[in-house]
Amino acid sequence: MSTPENVVELRDVDAVFTSGRGRARRVLRAMRGVDLHVAAGETLGLVGESGSGKSTTGAVALGLRRPTSGTVTFLGEPLRRARRRPGAIQAVLQNPHWSLNPRLRVGATVAEPLAARDGRSPNAHRDAVRRMLEQVGLPPDLDARHPHELSGGQRQRVAIARALITEPRFIVFDEAVSALDVSVQAQILNLIRDLQELHGFGSLFISHDLAAVRYVAHRVAVMLRGEIVETAPTSVFYDVPRHPYSRRLLEAT
Amino acid sequence: MNHLLRVDGATVDYTTRHGATRALDGANLTIAPGERVGLVGESGSGKSTLGLLVGRLLPAGARVGGTITVDGRDVLSLRPGDLRALRREVLGFVPQDPVGALDPTLRVGRQMRLALRGSAGEDGNPADLLERVRIDRPDRVLRLYPHEISGGMAQRIVIATVMAAAPRLLVADEPTAALDAQSREEVTGLVMDLAESEGTSVLWLSHDLRAVGRWCDRTAVMYGGRVVEDGSTRAVLDDPRHPYTRALSRSDPAHAVPGRRLPAIVGGPPTLVAGAPGCAFAPRCPRAVADCEGHRPLPLTVDGRTVLCLRPETETTVPSDVKAAS
Repeated sequence: MSTPENVVELRDVDAVFTSGRGRARRVLRAMRGVDLHVAAGETLGLVGESGSGKSTTGAVALGLRRPTSGTVTFLGEPLRRARRRPGAIQAVLQNPHWSLNPRLRVGATVAEPLAARDGRSPNAHRDAVRRMLEQVGLPPDLDARHPHELSGGQRQRVAIARALITEPRFIVFDEAVSALDVSVQAQILNLIRDLQELHGFGSLFISHDLAAVRYVAHRVAVMLRGEIVETAPTSVFYDVPRHPYSRRLLEAT
Repeated sequence: MNHLLRVDGATVDYTTRHGATRALDGANLTIAPGERVGLVGESGSGKSTLGLLVGRLLPAGARVGGTITVDGRDVLSLRPGDLRALRREVLGFVPQDPVGALDPTLRVGRQMRLALRGSAGEDGNPADLLERVRIDRPDRVLRLYPHEISGGMAQRIVIATVMAAAPRLLVADEPTAALDAQSREEVTGLVMDLAESEGTSVLWLSHDLRAVGRWCDRTAVMYGGRVVEDGSTRAVLDDPRHPYTRALSRSDPAHAVPGRRLPAIVGGPPTLVAGAPGCAFAPRCPRAVADCEGHRPLPLTVDGRTVLCLRPETETTVPSDVKAAS
């Protein structure tokens, strides 16, 4: 594919949660008319405070949550069809301590998405797994270890290897470096940039850390109470934020 | 100078079935009354061990060396009764995982009253204490069980309980690591405000350099079980002299130079099995010379801070406009 194309596109998406009934009924509009798109090889940073709807947006883009209204397309088709391409969409979450199965060896964890796709046993993918571990900067013989034997940075590399092994076209990173030590954060941020250059996936990088977003994202979208209030190329956003809320966010760091 | 806490050459060794591990390798630290000290370092650098050692709270297998003095008392030689009195009257601890720190079988109100028994906060009304940490409708919260509250709420409850006894020294071990960005800011502000109004000194263990930069008067940097740089927060974080602090500060995305790759520190922190023969950072250090591997650096005073390094950095290399952007 030579021309840049959108891997994921959200058009006028609303997500509404309701709870309780009668007088206790509460309605929360987590996403209001959200429009965004991510091109192949591009990282869109999504920032905003807790409760602004960032993670809901991530879940909708992953197809884990059906929007109340609006459309989500993946490679130009309705997102539902992405089921026909298992492994084309992946996620890396905040805390690798919780997102990795403590009872599986690293090799089985990384092979699982492949095994789920072709129905073979995780062992059948041993070579692919070891190549992938090397690509994320881990010694291949780490595949025999359990997550508790690894450091936080190593675990997050395992989570990234697991996401990349199916050669996804789109990855959501939801607070993927927030739980890591500063020195490890830098290693992981560099790794994400390198791997994107190599594989050309599009990514949605959700974070409250504006400095990390500035470093990895090509464009930045700012969310406030469920709405995207500003979208701009990273350099423009950090130099001349337009929306008053963006300016407040930048001043707070 | 009159120190509330003085740690001198502290060592901690463990022997497990996987062999020997040295968690502290001659750490030094002092805290003056009312001072707020940030103790920063990567996971495994020994900061939690040092924090627990202040109250002699390490697991039974730990072999401890050096001296620790709190409020004039020699912590390592205290009898059990005196040690309990020290923990009750002088020290306060805020753990990283607040939900784990609460008893899941007791309602919030009951466990607060239990925890306060016999301490200076005994007469405190739990509802008032919760109001101090800005919890709305405290009476409702007192009737809840820990699984019914959020992490931020649980941490406020722990803080309210700990601060009710007005400790002289509060040890907070990554108290906000499990919280989201916004509650992180609020909870940190709460602790610091309460500590200031009670005159409590704070030892704030964290790997969040930016938070430490905002809230602490002094910063001590740990690496390989030792405090390798210690001085005013501004000096240590904005203009570091130890190569490790320098590398750490530059790897913070907030200091990234546009268009330039973030200089990550290669490799990982060491796991010591015994005292390091030289500087523990030498294998990863860009400035290391042959001597660094074989000679333990002695504390040097450089530009108003203490540095444990044979070849400390000499000049500012972080451009001032980058610093302003952080």
